Amino acid sequence: MARSLLLLPEAGTMQDDARLTLVTSDGEAIRGKAKAASREPEVGVSRDLDWSILMAHAQEGNSTAYLRLLREITPYLRSLVRRWIKDAWDIEDAVQDILLTLHSIRHTYDPSRPFGPWLVGIANRRAIDKLRRRGRQALRETPLTAEHEATIAAAGNSDDALEKQHLEKVINDLPPIQRTAVDLLKLKEMSLKEASDATGLSVASLKMATHRALRNLRNLLSDRRDS
Amino acid sequence: MDTSDLLLSLATNVPPVKRLRPPMLRALGWLLLAAAIMGLMTLSHGVRPQFAEHMRDPVFAINMVSSLLTGILATVATFFVSLPDRSRRWLLLPAPPLIAWLSTIGYQCFAGWVPVPPGAITVEGASSCLATLVLTSLPLSLLMLVMLRYTATLRPTSIVLMGSLAVSAITATALSMFHPLDATAMILGWNLGTAVLFLGIAAIFGRRLSNTARAKER
Repeated sequence: MARSLLLLPEAGTMQDDARLTLVTSDGEAIRGKAKAASREPEVGVSRDLDWSILMAHAQEGNSTAYLRLLREITPYLRSLVRRWIKDAWDIEDAVQDILLTLHSIRHTYDPSRPFGPWLVGIANRRAIDKLRRRGRQALRETPLTAEHEATIAAAGNSDDALEKQHLEKVINDLPPIQRTAVDLLKLKEMSLKEASDATGLSVASLKMATHRALRNLRNLLSDRRDS
Repeated sequence: MDTSDLLLSLATNVPPVKRLRPPMLRALGWLLLAAAIMGLMTLSHGVRPQFAEHMRDPVFAINMVSSLLTGILATVATFFVSLPDRSRRWLLLPAPPLIAWLSTIGYQCFAGWVPVPPGAITVEGASSCLATLVLTSLPLSLLMLVMLRYTATLRPTSIVLMGSLAVSAITATALSMFHPLDATAMILGWNLGTAVLFLGIAAIFGRRLSNTARAKER
């Protein structure tokens, strides 16, 4: 209803042909297009006409026109695909799929007909295909849980485990005060005050011990790396 | 790949393309070629005996006309539906003559049910039937396949089925002109059966492939 109300008063003006084809052409694709046109008839029609002209040039091998067309339709395609697909990566995949399809069958476009329905027709097919594929994939996939990640992190890095062992050994070789300081301040992440309460040592001596411990560790570990 | 990179790489590689002619013209071209092939086959086989007399039989005439109409309309429908901006409702175009055609086949089957004399359908008869049928429908199917290859990414299933229907109907019409036995059932079985067979194989193998992929992943 709204569509005819909006489009008919303008039917006598300049771009008569484009408007009439938009209204009278058939197909599932056009319905979406017509809905868009009813919202903003001016913009929709002139845009469609631009795209038709650009595509006609592209068919003749004009790469500038083609690039401009592709850049202009990409956001539009994204908005179309978003109706079916929610995941951001899948949307981008589907958009690229549509662009590739459009490229491979660009000779099927007839410039005397509106561009929108042609584009929407391709986009719908590809988006639905993508959904189907996604459905099949989903059957074979299991979501990654925190548990998986933990096992992967633990099992995947045997190097880390070795390094840790070695570090513990080196820390054990430190003088007792330095060892305590590193243990409390660095490994258990206590504050200086907590550590001083726990050990009875002064904050200053703890600081000093940590400093020396780190210097020693640095020397010991770099020695190992050189050897 | 980033979408903007894809756009650039697509746009840098645009050789001029030849636009498709309007679907109606393409359908007509295919039908003309089909008519030529059928004409040649009829000439080489000779028109079946008592063709004029047969045409006076209303059931035979309806069968003939409706199969021809089905063929023509199915061809038109195939070429229209193959384009992304045409409605799927074109698929309904050949429905009315198809119903008429199938009902005459049904009638013939019914009429021919009781008096089948022993030896009326021999192996040689049937295999020569099949040979003629393959010879006539294969070039048509191949031509249609070449003309509609771009549709693989759009609506392959409905196009394949509609195209097979068009080929079957045209072949059936031609065969009823020069072939003494009524081979309609065989023609439909051959063309649509092959199409369904391929679709079935595709479905099974598609599933099998994804199953093995799943097995490998484990």
